[in-house]
Formats: sequence, C-alpha cells, structure tokens
Amino acid sequence: MDALYGAAVRLTRNAADAEDLVAESVARAWSAIDTLADFRRFRAWMFRILRNCFISEHRKRSARPAETRVEELFADEGEHDLTSLLLDQPEEFLAWWSNPELRLSNELLGERIMVAIEDLPECFRTTVLLITVEGLGYDEAAAVLGVPAGTVRSRMKRGRTLLQKALWEHARDAGLAGAGPLRETST
Amino acid sequence: MTKARETKGPDDIGCLEAIESLYAYLDGEIGDPQSRAAFEEHLGHCRSCFSRLELERRLAEHARKAARSSAPQALRSRLKGLLEKI
Repeated sequence: MDALYGAAVRLTRNAADAEDLVAESVARAWSAIDTLADFRRFRAWMFRILRNCFISEHRKRSARPAETRVEELFADEGEHDLTSLLLDQPEEFLAWWSNPELRLSNELLGERIMVAIEDLPECFRTTVLLITVEGLGYDEAAAVLGVPAGTVRSRMKRGRTLLQKALWEHARDAGLAGAGPLRETST
Repeated sequence: MTKARETKGPDDIGCLEAIESLYAYLDGEIGDPQSRAAFEEHLGHCRSCFSRLELERRLAEHARKAARSSAPQALRSRLKGLLEKI
C-alpha cells in the first residue's frame, strides 16, 4: 500500500490526485484479479495497473508531452557513450562519493536525490523509480512500462548518468567537490 | 580526469568488463553465478571499480530513503470502504 501510494505521489506530484489514483487502481485491480495468472507477479501487475490508470485518466488531462518525444532527444546516444561516461568519472568524484564518513555529502545527497530524480525526463524517471526505489527487475519493469527489457536497461543507464551529472554539479556548486567538470563524451 | 585502468590478471575480468557488468550486478540481473563471482573477485582488488559500485549503491540507497512515504489513514479507510462495496 505504501509503495503504491508513493509511486502514485511521484506520478501525479499531488497528494489528493495520488489518493484518487490509488483508489482507482485498486478498484480496477480487484475487478480484474482473475486475470492475474501468477501471483508472484502481483507487485509488477499492480504497478502496471497504476501506471495505466495514470496514463488514461490523469496525464491526458494535464496534457503532458508525449513520452516518446523525450526519448527522441537521446536517440543518437549509443551504449558506448554511456559506458564512456562511467569510465570518465573523475577519481575525485568517486573518492568524494564513496567516502562513508563524509557526513556533509550524505546530507547533500539525501536532500538532492529526489529533486534530481524528479528533474529527469519522464521515461527515465519512471524507470529509475521502478528499478531503484520499488526494486522491480528489468523484466518486471518492462512489463509495467510495456517496453522491451533492453529499453529498460538503456533507460536505466541514461537515467543514472543524468543523476550523477546533476549531483556532481550540485556538489561542485556547493563547494563540496572540486571544480573539474563531469565530462560527458561527445561522439 | 583519469580513466579506469585495465588491471587484468590471468583470471581477472578486468576493469572494462567489470564496468560493463556493474549496473546489471547492482540490479541483481547477473543470473550466471560464475559471472557474478568473477565480478566480485575483481572488486576485491580493484579500488577504482569498487568505488564506482559504491557510488551507485549509495545513490540507490539515498533514493530509496528519500522516496519512502506512508499512505495516509484517509486513503486506507477509503480503500477499505471501496473493497467492501465491491
């Protein structure tokens, strides 16, 4: 229940709409429970219903831009570029991030992480939330989103890269990390 | 800015392969036990790759903590009523 509500809040960005969305999803799920063949997949099935309800009822009303348009912006970026960014992370950034005793960085991350996630383009945001926060596997997330597992994998890579970049820039601006840029490779 | 070094021993998968597997490992998507063991073996002696994994782990941990939310009591009551009606 809490996970479903949390996901609804993140989708709708509004507590009242989130409650309506959960109620609608639960009602729809209850009436279709006979169609669930494998109860081990209940969690993913429930998230899928929630997302479908959101798309059909809420997103239409708010006239958000189509999800595919966002992905088109990144259509030219291949797997190689994503791996290159991971390879090119400055050692200073890694040392800063991986130091468990750096309380300030922990506080900064705690404060900034959801802001950075919320700022992600929707297709990456939803994928990162389903995998990282809700703990779904790639196959389960693919079923929820109605895309191939390979798409989930590439969205995760891209989403994580954008998050790292946003957090690094924030840390740098706050004077917590060095002035060197987190370079994104251009090919 | 430094790049990951290719610190490959005779039985080591090396940094490049480890980085390719990092996200799959983190998300529990490496099904093959041997591949998983090879990745962990590399982490055991490669500080750079260990730091990269640690970075991602902490990012996920912070995201989970920040995203935690409880459904309000009003919603619980509403659902109870709804399910009783159905």
